[in-house]
This record gives sequence, structure tokens and C-alpha cells, in this order.
Amino acid sequence: MKVSFFETGRYRAPRALPPEWPVPSGAYDREAGAQAYQGIIERLEYVEALGFDWVSVSEHHYSPRILTPAPIVTAAYIAARLRKITIALLGPIVPQSNPVRVAEELAMLDNLAQGRLVVGLLRGTTNESLTYDLNPQEARERTDEGMELILRAWTEPQPFGWQGRHFQYRTVSVWPRPFQQPHPPTYALGTSREACEFAARHRLGCGVSYGPFEVVGKATRYYREQCARHGWTPAPEQILYRANMLVAETDDDAQALLRKQPNQAPFAMRAGVRDAIMTLDSRNIAGEARAPVVSGALPTTFIGSPDTIVEQVRRCRNVVGAGVLDLSLHPPGSGDLDALMRSLDLFGKSVLPRIRDI
Amino acid sequence: MRDEGIPTVAQTAFREGFVEVDGFRIRYMEAGQGAPLVHLHGAGGPRVTPAHDLLARHFRVVAFEMPGFGQSPENTRTRSMPELASTMAQAVARLGLDTFNLLGTSFGGKTALWLALQAPSQVLALVLEAPAAIRQEGAESPSGSPEEITKRLYAHPERLGTIPLPDPVLRAKSQPLVQRLRGPDRDTDLERRLPSLVTPTLVLFGTLDRVISPAMGRVYKELMPGCQLVFVYDAGHAISTERPEAFAEVVEDFLERHDAFVISRTETVIHP
Repeated sequence: MKVSFFETGRYRAPRALPPEWPVPSGAYDREAGAQAYQGIIERLEYVEALGFDWVSVSEHHYSPRILTPAPIVTAAYIAARLRKITIALLGPIVPQSNPVRVAEELAMLDNLAQGRLVVGLLRGTTNESLTYDLNPQEARERTDEGMELILRAWTEPQPFGWQGRHFQYRTVSVWPRPFQQPHPPTYALGTSREACEFAARHRLGCGVSYGPFEVVGKATRYYREQCARHGWTPAPEQILYRANMLVAETDDDAQALLRKQPNQAPFAMRAGVRDAIMTLDSRNIAGEARAPVVSGALPTTFIGSPDTIVEQVRRCRNVVGAGVLDLSLHPPGSGDLDALMRSLDLFGKSVLPRIRDI
Repeated sequence: MRDEGIPTVAQTAFREGFVEVDGFRIRYMEAGQGAPLVHLHGAGGPRVTPAHDLLARHFRVVAFEMPGFGQSPENTRTRSMPELASTMAQAVARLGLDTFNLLGTSFGGKTALWLALQAPSQVLALVLEAPAAIRQEGAESPSGSPEEITKRLYAHPERLGTIPLPDPVLRAKSQPLVQRLRGPDRDTDLERRLPSLVTPTLVLFGTLDRVISPAMGRVYKELMPGCQLVFVYDAGHAISTERPEAFAEVVEDFLERHDAFVISRTETVIHP
């Protein structure tokens, strides 16, 4: 099992923040922000020393919960400061990006990091369509086309034009090409039938997140079936599972800590917007319709003492097939750095060495 | 096949005509006004599609039926692709077209390349739709039942309306000619001439072409650095049938502006 630390840039708000997404930018405190960014490097030096294989960053907007709206900038910052750890960019939100620009930036980053880059391409969470005025009903199609264009831009040796449905370019010829050939290890992220099929067709990895093992396992099973249909078998590390983990000295301690967690996402959308966008954002798990996640807290699927967690990881391997765990350690998204460091320490010393061979 | 979905048959009235040249009586379908655009079809024979409708709004479209294909009698005489190209050049001349744009599809893409090499001063610009002139090693023409052929030709046959299925009798008639003329996967006689081709050329491949690998596009760029290569997203081998609007837009733009078609004219002002 490979293990990845999900770095969100922990922002310690000096005063209470408005509870709604988008969070008013006037509430930003620059000293707290500077500390959050500085803290990334200090924390990741420790994460690297503990033996984590990867650090992951993701793209979210208009909130202090995940302070990396431009994850490529974060990744470049990490690449320059840390020498060994692999940087997993999970990932650019494809439908609201210029795919050619994404291909260029990722290729550049792979060169800067001398091949220490892993890429996840995704559609993005429901609220993100508001960020750049993206029609949520077009998000799926724009994602598929954008991903296809990124792969083509990385691999096509001659200048070309692209006559798409949502994107059109007459001249594409990216420099630099990726350091890793033909391109960095890449995952299509998401549980949808479309993402699984895209990954299988292009021999990419599949990344799922947060849901219970049985639920996300439906998607990874479908992905493996599709890979077989395309005549190949994915390696274990081509299945990635991002999850919340709450590790404590005992199972009772862990459950007690969980009970203290809010069951709502920290910054929810206004109800009217949430209800309207949910009717426009169609989501599925391997073709089975599911409701978009808009305001609920994400489940914690690894919880308990180190012994319990080791068993859960074993079960995850069996049910989900995951060869990479991308972990958000409790408390997720909070600025409680002492609690985070306790989790990190306990996980790194009491769990990590025992799940390597799973 | 379903009747609903993307139409596959032209709606414009194309008028039929014939020219007699080189011992053949050659049928053509014609519509539209403007600069002439001559179309040479693929190995499946001629079919007038919605892409022809769109092109006929800006061009005088002349879609030929090459001897031995479609309704014409079996052609046992033509021995080579350059010979077929010469016959088709004569057919165009008989229509009084001194200069013209030339579109070649798949098998007809190779005919069109030879024609442009033989008559460079007459061909204003060349468009090659999924050309079969340079093929991956071991490339096979679509064969089998009409349904199997359909699966090879289209990325998403389920999205299309009624697809006129290839007629097995007509295919059987033209197959010996196709086999005789298609040449090797890498035709050195043709490829050594391509660097000298000065005609503005656009090469189009569908990203899901299951007959000729879209990776062949880069070989055209290597041999003819001045040519333009464009991938049509989510289209199979029959690009113009699967994505007629996308196909017609890029073809029209290229025929109008040649290399300058790389300069965008898309306006982005939302509220002036």
C-alpha cells in the first residue's frame, strides 16, 4: 500500500468566519494566510520524514477550508522545497480550465519536479461550477473532452488543431513535454461510469473518494471490468482512494472525537442555490444515479485505534482494490494543528509501517 | 437502426449529372454556388450527407462517383491510383473547372493526393478526411456484415439516425478495384513526392478512428511540414457524418483562409 498525505493548507482563523460558501474574501486574515502557507512546508518535511510516499493537493475555491485554488502553484512550491516526496496534483478541475494551459503547466511541473509528479483529472465538486460560471449541465462533457485534449497535447509530437464540442484550437504544440514519458502517472478521478470508462480506455488510474468501501468499490469494480474489456489489467497503485481518517489511541477515544465533529460541511451553500444546483448536477456511481454532495460532512471511513485501522486498510484493499490511500487526517479542514500533528504522529509511527505490505 | 438521432442523409436537393471521359461515364451530384469544391469519396462509394448540405451553402459542391463505385459498372480497367486520379482530373476539366478545391475521403484521400501532385496549378487547396494514403502497419479495410462495417466506421453509431448500410452487392463489385488501387500501407512512391506538394493541405482525423489510426496524422506533418493537422474530437473514421457541423466549419475556414485559418475570429464580447 502506498500512502499519500492530503495537504489542504490549514488556515487558523483568528476570529469566527461567516458560515456560508462562498466565504466573503474580506474575512481573510493575511497573517493567518501567510502562516498557513508557511506551515505547509514545515508539516510536509515531517510527512516526508515519516515515510509518506506522496503528498496530494487539490483545487477548491472561495473558502479557507482548502487554501489551494491554484494547486499547480502549491505543487511548484512543494516541489522546490522538498526533495524526495512525490507530488500528486488531484487535480486541476478540468471543465473550468483551458486544457492546453493545464497540459503545459503540468508538463512544466513534471520537469521542475524531475518526474515526481502524479496527476488526477476531475470534474470537480458541485459548488465549483459557480466559481467560474460554468453551466453544471455541461460539466461532464467538458471534463471528458478536456481530459482527452490534455492527453493528446502531452503525447502528440507534431503541431495540431482541435475541433471539439466545447474546445477549439487551431494550434497546439506544448513545450516542455512531460519529464515522464509518455506522461506522468494519471488518474481519472470520480466514481462515475464516464470517468471509469475514460480511465479504462486510456489506460489511466481510477481515483475514488470518501464513500464507504462497498459504495466506492462498485466504481472500482466497474473500472476493472472496463479495463478487461479494453484488454488490460490495472496495477494496484492505479486505484486510489481518498478518505478521512481518525486515528486515536483507542477505538473509544476515536469514536468520542468523531462525535464532536460537526455533521455539516463547514461552509455550506445557501439553501436556494444548493437546491437549484442539485437538480442540474447529475452524478452516478458506475452508472447508478446518486445525489451530488453539497453540504453534508464527508464520511470518515477509517476510524479507531492503530490496530483497528490496520484491519480497515486490509478490508479496503480487498473491497475497493486500492493500492494508494490519500488520507485526510482528522480533524479535516480545521485549523486545529495540534490535533492534526497528534494524528500524523500516531499514524506515521503506529500504522504506516504496518500497512506497507497490504 | 433508429430513425431518430443525427441525420445522415443530405436534405438539400443535389442535382445529378454525368460526364464522359477516358472511356467512363461518370456520375456526379452537385449543389450550391461559389468556389468549386470537388469531393472524391471513400471505398464505400458515394453518399451525399448533411456535411455536403453545409458545404453547399458556401461552395459549389461536386461529389463524384468514381468509376467502379456506387451505381457505375464494375471497373476492371483502372490499374493504379495515379491512373484513377488522372481520370478524375479529366472529369473535373470536362465540367469546365479550371481551378477548384479538392476534398478526398479515406480511399479518395489518396486519389486526391495523387490528383494534386499531377495538377498542382489547378488544385487551390486540398482537404483530406481520414485519408488512407498512409496507414498503420497491417491496417485492414472495414469488412464483414453491414453492422460490423458500421462499428468500424463510426465512433457512436447509436447517436446517428438511419445509417444507409453498405450494400453487399455494390461492395463486392468495387472490392477488387479497391484492393488493386489501395497500395501498400506505406507507399514509398507517393511518400517521396509529398515533400514537393505545394498545395495548401488540411489533414483531418477523428480521435476515435478505428480504421486508420489518428496517429498517422503526424506522418503527414513530417512529410509535408506545411500541412495543417486537425483532430476532430469524438469522431470515428466517417468524420463528416458523425460531426457534420464541426467538419464543415473547419473545412470552410481552411478553404477560405488557408494557413491564416489559425488566426481566431471568434468574438468574445458578451455585452458591448
